[in-house]
Amino acid sequence: MSFEYHEPTSLAEAVALGARFGDDGRFLAGGTDLIIQMHRGKLRPRHVVSLHRVSGLDAIDANGAVHVGALVTHRALERFPAFRGPLRALVEGAEVVGGHQVRNVGTVGGNIVNASPAADVVPVLLTLDASVTCLSPGGERTLRLEDFLIGSGRTARRPDELLTGVRFAGLAPQSATAFLKAGRRRAMEISVVCVAGRLTLDASGERCLKAGRRRAMEISVVCVAGRLTLDASGERCLEARIALGAVAPRTLRAHEAERFLEHRALTAETLREAAELAVAACEPISDVRASARYRRLLVETLVPRVLARCVERVREQAS
Amino acid sequence: MATSEPRVVGKSLPRMDGAGKVTGTAVYAADFALPGMLVGKVFRSAEPHARIMRLDTARARALPGVRAVMTAADVPDVRYGGALKDETVFARSKVRYVGQPVAAVAATTPEAADTALAAIEVVYESLPAVLDLDAALAPGAPLIHEEWASYTAIPILHRDGNVCNRARIVVGDVERGFEEADRIFEHRFRTGMVHQGYTEPRAAVAAWDSSGQVTVWSNTQLPFEVQNTLAEILQMAPSKIRVVVPGIGGGFGGKLRVGVEHFAAFLAKATGRPVKVMTTSVEELTAAYPRQGTVVELKTGVTKDGRITAKAGRIWFDTGAFAGSGPGVASVATLVLAGPYKILNLHLEGFAVYTNKTNCGSFRAPSGPQANFAVESQMDVIADALDLDPLELRLKNIVREGDEGPTGQVLQAVGLEECLRKAAAAIGWRDRRPARWRGKGLACGWWTTTGGSSGVYVKINPDGTVALNTGAAEIGTAALTGAAQVLAEELGVDLADINVVSADTFSTPFDFGAQGSRTAFAVGNACRAAVDDLKGRIFALAAAQLGVSADACHLVDKHVLADGKRISLADLARLSQQTGGGLIAQGTFIAPPTAYDSKRVDGHVYPAFHSPSFHAHAVDLSIDPETGDVTIHKYVVAQDVGFAMNPTYIEGQIEGGVAQGLGQALSEEIVYENGRVLNANLTDYKMPTTLDMPRVETILVQHPSLVGPYGAKGVGEPPNIEPPAAVANAVAAATGLRLTSLPITAEHIALALRDAGA
Amino acid sequence: MSKLALTLTINGERHEILTEPHRTLLDVLRADLGLTGTKENCLEAECGVCTILLDGAAVNACILLAAQCQGRAVLTIEGLARNGDLHPLQRAFIDHGAVQCGYCIPGMILSAQAYLEEHPSPTEYDVRAALAGNLCRCTGYQKIAEAVLAVARDRSARR
Repeated sequence: MSFEYHEPTSLAEAVALGARFGDDGRFLAGGTDLIIQMHRGKLRPRHVVSLHRVSGLDAIDANGAVHVGALVTHRALERFPAFRGPLRALVEGAEVVGGHQVRNVGTVGGNIVNASPAADVVPVLLTLDASVTCLSPGGERTLRLEDFLIGSGRTARRPDELLTGVRFAGLAPQSATAFLKAGRRRAMEISVVCVAGRLTLDASGERCLKAGRRRAMEISVVCVAGRLTLDASGERCLEARIALGAVAPRTLRAHEAERFLEHRALTAETLREAAELAVAACEPISDVRASARYRRLLVETLVPRVLARCVERVREQAS
Repeated sequence: MATSEPRVVGKSLPRMDGAGKVTGTAVYAADFALPGMLVGKVFRSAEPHARIMRLDTARARALPGVRAVMTAADVPDVRYGGALKDETVFARSKVRYVGQPVAAVAATTPEAADTALAAIEVVYESLPAVLDLDAALAPGAPLIHEEWASYTAIPILHRDGNVCNRARIVVGDVERGFEEADRIFEHRFRTGMVHQGYTEPRAAVAAWDSSGQVTVWSNTQLPFEVQNTLAEILQMAPSKIRVVVPGIGGGFGGKLRVGVEHFAAFLAKATGRPVKVMTTSVEELTAAYPRQGTVVELKTGVTKDGRITAKAGRIWFDTGAFAGSGPGVASVATLVLAGPYKILNLHLEGFAVYTNKTNCGSFRAPSGPQANFAVESQMDVIADALDLDPLELRLKNIVREGDEGPTGQVLQAVGLEECLRKAAAAIGWRDRRPARWRGKGLACGWWTTTGGSSGVYVKINPDGTVALNTGAAEIGTAALTGAAQVLAEELGVDLADINVVSADTFSTPFDFGAQGSRTAFAVGNACRAAVDDLKGRIFALAAAQLGVSADACHLVDKHVLADGKRISLADLARLSQQTGGGLIAQGTFIAPPTAYDSKRVDGHVYPAFHSPSFHAHAVDLSIDPETGDVTIHKYVVAQDVGFAMNPTYIEGQIEGGVAQGLGQALSEEIVYENGRVLNANLTDYKMPTTLDMPRVETILVQHPSLVGPYGAKGVGEPPNIEPPAAVANAVAAATGLRLTSLPITAEHIALALRDAGA
Repeated sequence: MSKLALTLTINGERHEILTEPHRTLLDVLRADLGLTGTKENCLEAECGVCTILLDGAAVNACILLAAQCQGRAVLTIEGLARNGDLHPLQRAFIDHGAVQCGYCIPGMILSAQAYLEEHPSPTEYDVRAALAGNLCRCTGYQKIAEAVLAVARDRSARR
């Protein structure tokens, strides 16, 4: 696992090094993906460019449009006060990544570039119509996140590019987001006393986990992120976004389901129909974590729950 | 023996080795290092079943930093093992599982060792792989061990081809018993392979000295057994092999037998340098000694009012490519299949079967969870069918004081009814289905306190402290603290006065090892024997010093008191050193054999449960009917521990055992496909985290055993046994679904509900 | 491949190290500095036995390059006790019977310490969530959670 180690102290230096090494090099942020893949022998870069001394990439700017620097850690995302409202799904996605040790160092940028189809924050960003910026010696370019993610572990990043950040527009009024990893804790579990702390959940019991065999340290079996913008009456959907994780080679937008919901009244029936369209859009595999059939079942179950949660939140925000 | 309220035993005193552990100064085998030490790594088979056509280590040997590369050609041609000697250090002509050792290297750095492994060239010719029990048992199945008949084995084993033992219990006449029955129930169950999950990898450091002796520092639970096995493997006298256990980071049965010690010893000999070998997560999940997966067939006959008239059962253990603990486990299983029930007609068989998977071993209550899952699941099906309360059905059939066990042993100190009633009360059994998709389940069982002997040396130091020298290893249960509490109680000193030296085959007396829930029990009793011996000498010396009769002497508060006079133990120890060589004594203990009817058993390595414990678990859980997720609201354990030597640490055993049991019940399985493990990493081998574990309520029931110190029984293994059945029963109560395969994952529940049209 | 000259500050002490770039902080702590209190197991950030505090934040030392620790403060379990006095968490873990085999304990204590520094009044759920990245196979976590809660309560009481 031997390599040359580089520690640039500026963005320009980092970009120059990245361009110089191209595919022979890898940027190192938190290491929660890169180092593990190197230990397993899956990646053997000749050069590792650590970004931890590069400043300016770890800021979150949320005045209107939101810009999240590539080196923002999941922990910072989790704790960002402005994300506790309508953008809450960002917190929900961030807080289920690994344990706190991983969240303390793992970065949003690293997570995006790693392009695991089971990533947690990525589906949330997709529902926000996020775009990413990549910097190379030739300049900066911006791509839609949806176009940036090509397949499992594959992105549109060129060998001489460094992902510097992700941005998305602020939410329209009457909008809310939600994220579910579909799991073992749901809103009606107020009666659950298995872990006493659950009694102090916030009122709508919004902490939800991934679908998986455990409540922590899980790679998603399936995760679902949603964003809804409702009309003034709160009954009808103006715009919908649904993103699915771990059901295709890359995180997926359920476009047909989204189109179906536009201008529709949001009833249990329409949510269910939207879910069916989302299931049709998936291409899940069977693997040691779950069968394809179960993954479809989870999409069918979680999409309505995520959307219902968005509706609840819009209504709460209005009142 | 204390005649008044115990001062030390029975108290929740802090463990003696806590400070080292919380400060990071305690040294585990994984931490142990010697100057000049080399790194040893193992080259392992990539094929499940294949002939080795070519094995070439020349390139590896030539690499920089590589000091030795060894294969079967470099070690004595020895087959070793427990009840059946079928294992070799390295594969010789063929490999029998993915992960089987084929070669080992020693190098100056881990990277050089890895490079050496990658440079070993091997060519295999695939053989048809025997992937599961069905394949192994099919007529004409490929033989995993063609020369099985020539292997050395203990004579009572019944071996045939891919079956490396068949154990049997026969009582009465099951056919007549089934005729008597009003209803007969037949079920098939299946359980998966699970790993002990200790957080410290297996590790050993070996170093040879100039006189041809080797010392091996290892995290084995059985230093004396490892010493003997190494003697066989190295073809040396055991006395020239010293095994020392610096510290163990969890064992649960997975660290009983040689895993890396022999590689370290061979490589150290070949290089003339100390060598350390440590397993990786991948090696643990592919080439360790996990719990066997099983298939169970159970047939039980009952009268319409719920009395069991007959039970016939077979349990097959997929014990992997080598027998490991299979033969013994297959035997124990028959006692678990009988259950703690009065049944006059039994025909129970356990089979240990070879397949091309890792050779399985012993994991906390070996065969317990698998067989109990079958028995206790079926009990609930029976209760349901007869429209009886599952608690009542059990109470109707359980053994009580003086009843016979399945092999005819007379059961004493039977606390099972109390356990059942208390567990049921604590879970709120009257309201078994408190809400839609919510249900409660019960399971009960019994288990043994394994025998085997333990010896201790006890010495009183001139400052009044006491040295306890024991061959037992402390694996984390605080068993040695418990034994020390017994010693302190008997001697009239405090726990803080005792220092323990343990687990060194050279300097500590023989101990059968930290297995089978026996350590506090046996070492505690050995301490009592030592004190009996020591008292004679203490009182004789005190009598002479004080001018009293030895009969008038008592041990009280670090002094000998007699006729109103007193002298401290410290003074006596000092005096004794000057005049008589010191106040030292030895004590040994072996549990008296448990009488049983030998005509009832056949091929059976473990025909009776000694000083048996009894236990009942109850769980209250809910299901999310769409996703299948399980949420546990409450978990209760009532366990008959005989006498609670240290309640806090017994609770700890129960809480931890339930955690492992729930892991087996809900999320853990080593998954094989075509002879390869799919989830050989901790991401996908899913052990419970803090958020997965419910709180466990512990009820300690005490029906003192006749043999254990102060009436204690073994406590460590039992909590692992009942969780799968308790969960399955609660899931059935909550959903109406009877799931007969472990683990019971959310996926299984959700898809079963879908298929049932829910 | 050239070695890197690093100055690492571990438990307040400076160490001059010469090591290959790929070596992790865990490698350096255990093999080079003899600080074996930080443990080794999965090497993939799944089990938490290697947890240390890096500038006060809990991280897995097994995936942290030693090189990335230059100029930052590393706290290991060996640095927690002061002047031979056990830290309250160390004391509480012993007192509550939270220590069995002990191998997960250094990482567990440091995770708890980092969490309590920022969240002085946790619920049991909060404590468990904070420790979700530390696997324990012996205890079932119950007494560990109790020990941490007891320390939190003690600290609150003394405020």
